Amino acid sequence: MERRELLKTIALLTGTAVVGGEIFLTGCKNPVTSKSAFTPAMISLLDEIAETIIPTTDTPGAKAAKTGAFMQIMIEDCYTKKEQDAFIKGIEELEKKCNTENGITFTKLTPEKRLAFLQQLESEAKEYNETIKKKKEEDEKLKKDNPPPHYYSMMKQLTLWGFFSSETGMTESLRHVPVPGRFDGNAPYIKGEKAWAE
Amino acid sequence: MQYDAIVVGSGISGGWAAKELTEKGLNVLLLERGRDIEHIKDYVNATKESWEFPHRGIMPTQQMLEDYPVLRRDYPLNETVLDLWVKDKECPYTETKPFSWFRGYHVGGRSLMWGRQSYRFNKWDFEANLKDGHGVDWPIRYEDLAPWYSHVEKFAGIQGSKEGLEVLPDGEFMPAMELNCVEKDVAEKIKKHYNGNRHLIIGRSANITVPHEGRTNCQYRNRCWRGCPFGGYFSTQSSTLPAAMKTGKLTLRPFSIVTQVLFDKDRKKASGVEILDATDNKTYQYKSKIVFLCASSFNSTWVLMNSATDIWSEGLGSSSGELGHNVMDHHFRCGASGTVEGYSDRYTYGRRPTGIYVPRFRNIYDDKRSYVRGFGYQGGAGRGRGVQVAEFTIGAELKEALSVPSDNWHMGVMGFGEMLPYHENKITLNKNVKDKWGLPVLDMDVEIKENEKKMREDMMNDAKEMLEATGVKNAHTYDYGYEVGMGIHEMGTARMGRDPKTSVLNGNNQVWDCQNVFVTDGACMTSASCVNPSLTYMAMTARAANFAVEELKKGNL
Repeated sequence: MERRELLKTIALLTGTAVVGGEIFLTGCKNPVTSKSAFTPAMISLLDEIAETIIPTTDTPGAKAAKTGAFMQIMIEDCYTKKEQDAFIKGIEELEKKCNTENGITFTKLTPEKRLAFLQQLESEAKEYNETIKKKKEEDEKLKKDNPPPHYYSMMKQLTLWGFFSSETGMTESLRHVPVPGRFDGNAPYIKGEKAWAE
Repeated sequence: MQYDAIVVGSGISGGWAAKELTEKGLNVLLLERGRDIEHIKDYVNATKESWEFPHRGIMPTQQMLEDYPVLRRDYPLNETVLDLWVKDKECPYTETKPFSWFRGYHVGGRSLMWGRQSYRFNKWDFEANLKDGHGVDWPIRYEDLAPWYSHVEKFAGIQGSKEGLEVLPDGEFMPAMELNCVEKDVAEKIKKHYNGNRHLIIGRSANITVPHEGRTNCQYRNRCWRGCPFGGYFSTQSSTLPAAMKTGKLTLRPFSIVTQVLFDKDRKKASGVEILDATDNKTYQYKSKIVFLCASSFNSTWVLMNSATDIWSEGLGSSSGELGHNVMDHHFRCGASGTVEGYSDRYTYGRRPTGIYVPRFRNIYDDKRSYVRGFGYQGGAGRGRGVQVAEFTIGAELKEALSVPSDNWHMGVMGFGEMLPYHENKITLNKNVKDKWGLPVLDMDVEIKENEKKMREDMMNDAKEMLEATGVKNAHTYDYGYEVGMGIHEMGTARMGRDPKTSVLNGNNQVWDCQNVFVTDGACMTSASCVNPSLTYMAMTARAANFAVEELKKGNL
């Protein structure tokens, strides 16, 4: 049940079902696919995108958690070919869009501009996902086809997931005790204290 | 090689048979179709953290989805326990109707991955078939099993609270785990709202809360299903196997697929079993005075179906026409959940490996519904992480929001309902499909019917009403959909009864047609109750083992 809850949380925050996690909610079937191609440059770009979503504060951020490399593993092993393609194409689209609007590549932007750029993508992704959802309700074939959500949604899902299941995410941003040794069902909580990692 | 007893299968039931029979002085051969898993040493993922799994232990890979076409249908498919579930592709079965069969083929069987919820059947459960006319009457009553429940509870170690309820008899409990503050509050309000006729209690489970039999008490890691290095929960490995080994009278033989019970026509008794050795693909025969089939419900029946076919074409124990019939499971995956306000200054410490339980309240005393039998609820309250952030928020603010608990708690319950024994719900041998050993596979032809479907409506609506009555906000119902087998409580197919014409086993779990063969796992169940069944298998096995040894002493077997 916990997994279902986590999937729901991430789905809520990205406005679309978790790619690859949908299997548990609907029991859909996907064929096994071939591997996709990631370059080191793509991984570092993904690291920077992830770092913008979950930045270094008083604790390390998504880049320190190697979220880019995590994304590669998840996309290659857990995504379908269609989802892989949409994600890879999305990286290109993001770079193209960034170049058109800013004249430079994403990694050259200042942190403030990166944030503004991704916030704009947030609303674009929301609109896209809502349109797809609506179309799916009206079109049986499209529903069966199950097109992936906006590429940015996939990036954000994997960032949240990857970061909060990483060692730094679980032990520095959150609290984690491997062997609690006892249970207290009525422990005091002072506002601002970190949440348990699991 | 001659043994006093052969036990087929090393899961919850087989482990108990091995323990009881060896402790009573018998030389026992324990056969297990899969590999050995040594306690602690072979729990390869027990102490790993999320970040040590390539996919963080949560999302299936495309390869896993292909290799596990059945397991993928529900939560068991994940990389933290992948080595413990059967690879579906290697162990096929066919589905006339959809059936999820989640199996563990290794020493310890599903005792390693079980949910550990441990409840006694009540007196009404044993009378239900007789009273409403579904299935046949149980040949035993609660009083017959009660001392054996006590016997197994004392050794297994069950934590729970004594409640004095007829509907959920108390047992020999270790100190109970604690309800959390929200659950306590909801429990109080339920009691008040329903005038003391409905109860929310801690889920009784086979997790020890004090050191016991050389095992360390639960450390609140809630990672039981990966195998517990502390021996904190009951499994064959942590409990019954070491006890049986200590007698010096147990021989454990892994990789031994039992293909049939050997039937001696002249003596009308079993003389032993034949196995296929999974390592060299050769057959071997072992002789014994008695045989205990504890191979899991369907596999025990599969062995019977393949035995003595020269006398009974449908197999040993088939003369009643009931072998393979009356399949049951518990239907679930629907209920209600919502949020609880007012506890933002409270939190939990430690990960409790059990939830709450609401014992059955439908169709007991004066309550009467449009269906028969009932259901219980499992669930709990918890405080998740914060997701209350404004739209499009990313960056430090999002990170901060997700690093602290949410303001509200959530509370959810899920119904677990009784499924009736229908004759037409059956498993059969499918001789057209063979597994990798060339053995015929099972075909599943099982479905839930009107009674269960009506009950599911109550399982959702009653849950919502109950949560709302206790002040839970945004209470809403859900139904994730249920496919028979998902409860992993498959029961029936060799039911106990009072008449050899309508049942496979008698009141002492002996096959009517061959009285030195005992079936004591889920196959023997005459009805399902709505409570988790493993504790009943334990008690049933210990009772039958005691009976078998007494009969051997008297020279009756």
